[in-house]
Amino acid sequence: MNDKNIKDMWNKAGKAMSSSEYGRETIERFISKRSNSTTQKVKNLIYLDIAVKFMILIILGIDIFLFWGTLNVIVVCATAVILMIPLLLFQFKMLNRFSKIADYGQSAKEKLTSMLTYLRSGFFSTLLAISSTYPFMFIAGMLVYYYSAYGYVKPMDGQDIIVFSVFLIFGLGFNLYINRKQIIYQVKHLETCLSDLNDSSLEMVSDNLEKQRKQDITNKILLSLVLIFGFVLLLVIFKNIGFLIH
Amino acid sequence: MKPQKQNKKEFSELIKVNQRIIHKITYIYANGPVDREDLFQEICLQLWKSYPNFREESLFSTWMYRVALNTAISTIRKKKNNFEVESLKNQEQIPDEPFEEKENVARLYKAISKLNNIDKAIILLWLEEKNYDEIASVMGTTKSNVSVKLVRIKRKLEEIIFKQN
Repeated sequence: MNDKNIKDMWNKAGKAMSSSEYGRETIERFISKRSNSTTQKVKNLIYLDIAVKFMILIILGIDIFLFWGTLNVIVVCATAVILMIPLLLFQFKMLNRFSKIADYGQSAKEKLTSMLTYLRSGFFSTLLAISSTYPFMFIAGMLVYYYSAYGYVKPMDGQDIIVFSVFLIFGLGFNLYINRKQIIYQVKHLETCLSDLNDSSLEMVSDNLEKQRKQDITNKILLSLVLIFGFVLLLVIFKNIGFLIH
Repeated sequence: MKPQKQNKKEFSELIKVNQRIIHKITYIYANGPVDREDLFQEICLQLWKSYPNFREESLFSTWMYRVALNTAISTIRKKKNNFEVESLKNQEQIPDEPFEEKENVARLYKAISKLNNIDKAIILLWLEEKNYDEIASVMGTTKSNVSVKLVRIKRKLEEIIFKQN
């Protein structure tokens, strides 16, 4: 079978496809729907986290108003707000970085390489930033609950602290596990495609990863510190350690 | 040019005129009519989203191949079981061609569907009369790599078709 034969056959098949052409209205309907791509899922994850972070900031503001006069609670809420703002800015930065990666108009190699680099390095930072939202959500929500139920911050005993901490850590771990698992398939798929491209693409990803890792290490350390600090705040506010008395 | 809400219609018209490109891609990447429509929809959506970044440095059709192939390549889908292009053998679908020709066309599609995602993209671009420079630009690789890969892909296709016979 020579090249001409193959191309002739291909062109004949092209005629068959004209039978399934879509009208303008159908195409317009298609472009109004939601995307199912991994890039869209990651974007949605970041959008949702940004929305939740904004909501927490509002609730923390309400908490400050509700507990006005209780200095310790106000200090904790203000500290949480101060920590939340850079986290929010970080997520906007990640969204901007991801929007560039998500552009499908790049060459196949650029698209696959940038996606793989992000999923293997930057995605973990995104997940950490999302995870760090949990303790703050818990603090903001519990303060509202305590105000409406008791009118003050009810100190927890040791057992309460252990139960809440276990639930929170379990929630964080589960969230990280599920998101990582979803991404593993995509990472394997991208690696296979790049290796099929049969040039230096995978080495390029390794080089990019190395550069990215150096840049991301500061992000990861800071995000981990915020996460730990969030937990400490949580313990401080709900465990009466002598200075948190209404 | 950044697309505004009001030129969604205009953009849909542009896709309508060039939709044969997307159909060809969905035929070789998707598994069955439902999967094909899903992929068609996803490609249209990505074209619409990427349109603001389209700089008229390349032809609209070349850019369309780029976006459509990137969407098809990066989408994970279930393994094929019964090849859907069997429908291409259908008497009505390829008009005015003898039965043997229709069989050959179906065999070609079946063979292409057995290639990996990257090889499918390269052979498709070659079949669409794109030159090595254009193929290299869409794939982001070198001209020599395209040339080497094309020789291998054609050999692979012949082997698959031979086995089918």
